[in-house]
Amino acid sequence: MRNILTLAGKDFRSLATSPMFCLIAALCSVMWSFTFLRSLILFAENTQATFNPGPSPTLQMTVFLTHISQINLLFVFIVPALTMRLLAEEKKLRTYDLLLTAPITATEIALGKFLGAFGVILILVALSFLYPLATYPIAHFSFPPLLAAYLGVILVASTYVAVGVFASSLTQSVVLSVVMGLVFNLFLWFLSQGAESATGLYMTSVLEQISIGDHFMAFIRGSIRLKSIMFLLSCTGLFVFLTQRVVESSRWR
Amino acid sequence: MIQVKELSKFYGDRQAVKNLSFTVNKGEVVGFLGPNGAGKSTTMKILTGYMAPTSGTVQISGFDIFEDPIEVKKRIGYLPETPPVYLDMTVQRYLEFCAKLKGVSSEAIDSSVDAALQKTALQQVRRRMIGNLSKGFRQRVGLAQALVSDPEILILDEPTVGLDPKQVAEMRTLIKELKGKHTIVLSTHILPEVQASCDKVIIINEGQIIAEDQIQGLSNRMAGGGHLKIRVLRKADQVAEELKRIEGVVDSSSTGNYLEVKTDGRDQVVEEISKKVVSLDAGLIELQTSTLSLEDIFIQLTDSTEKS
Repeated sequence: MRNILTLAGKDFRSLATSPMFCLIAALCSVMWSFTFLRSLILFAENTQATFNPGPSPTLQMTVFLTHISQINLLFVFIVPALTMRLLAEEKKLRTYDLLLTAPITATEIALGKFLGAFGVILILVALSFLYPLATYPIAHFSFPPLLAAYLGVILVASTYVAVGVFASSLTQSVVLSVVMGLVFNLFLWFLSQGAESATGLYMTSVLEQISIGDHFMAFIRGSIRLKSIMFLLSCTGLFVFLTQRVVESSRWR
Repeated sequence: MIQVKELSKFYGDRQAVKNLSFTVNKGEVVGFLGPNGAGKSTTMKILTGYMAPTSGTVQISGFDIFEDPIEVKKRIGYLPETPPVYLDMTVQRYLEFCAKLKGVSSEAIDSSVDAALQKTALQQVRRRMIGNLSKGFRQRVGLAQALVSDPEILILDEPTVGLDPKQVAEMRTLIKELKGKHTIVLSTHILPEVQASCDKVIIINEGQIIAEDQIQGLSNRMAGGGHLKIRVLRKADQVAEELKRIEGVVDSSSTGNYLEVKTDGRDQVVEEISKKVVSLDAGLIELQTSTLSLEDIFIQLTDSTEKS
């Protein structure tokens, strides 16, 4: 455990203090500030101007949904960029030798790398949470669905991080690592498109279940489903496990 | 301390290490010598548990590198060819990280880092970013990293490569200072380094051990046959011819005012030669006996294996 925290702490510190992370965080907040405010104003205009029969739109399903989908979209691209260096650069700069000759196991390396990057992503998640939080004094909404949605964000982010670390473990090239991470992330989303075109009821439901989209949407709607939690945790676990196998394999190749 | 038995390593079809067997005793400083691509680094990587051999066993302090890799790694400090340093960390923080990683207890971290900094004379730069340090300093930081957990065994892969002459000298003094406190295995293709710092030398070429001996023993073994260099003011050709007639002189030749004479190694022959040169009134100004250096031994050994 101590080894995992040592590794995670080192990577967390070096990532969180890197100029790249500061730049990414700044750009994200610029974009969120722009879009969140815009959709908030739009929401306010809509609710005042028109009389809608039926249930009135809620903040959760309009403003927050847009905000959270946007966070997700950004994370698909940003997370691989933040995780790309984790193992690829260690290999390139030969510091990988240090890790492999230190008295630590491959599992500890994989988990340490994952947790370090995950911690940094949590900073971004916290940053994005400021927007709904700042809305609270001016508009009343119920908090629990928002928290459920953020649980979804955190779980999805952990999957992206695990995917990114895995991509980084496969190569020495930082560029290749970021591209692979990106493609893997997109693939997890596009699986649901396969569901639409798949023939046969069985195949359709399988593809639906193993795509991130459906599970993530459930969280945004405010429902916490055990199967969705389990699915996203398993995805994270799977990719951390694959990373562990890749790290371990370097001893045998 | 280190026992290696019939170690082999294949990279695809190419065999980098062939049936290597040797032992290193506690406190010894062993030089691993060989041309580039001889399999030195591969052997060292296997010793550190970085990679597994295709066949053969390695035991370190009684632990097998297959069975107890973690126990083995706790006892080894390894400096790879390229120092494994993070450029965006300060020296101090990097060493703290390494100490933690190597299982130094939290209370002992500060003192271990201080000790490592002191041994490698890095106190001046402890707060500087490693990325801003020169190659020589980085190499020393790498060595400090290997020392920080005070391991029983130090494995240094070409510790002086890429350093300027002054830094090389400093590195050698450093290694000498570590002698006695740790068992050291160092690899190099630079021969004076071995002469300067090692007790024992293992010469390896194309993955095989071609000689293994104490430094002194190795030079004695190869020294058979004396070698003289003579410088005269005149009549060099004539002297060369005359010298050939002396009993015990194997060969003699002249280039300009210099003569090279090979003898059977007896001191009397040298005396006869000097008498002869003086009697010929050639103007003797220099007479030098030379024994084979490690360099010559090395070339002879690697040449002979290539021919055979």
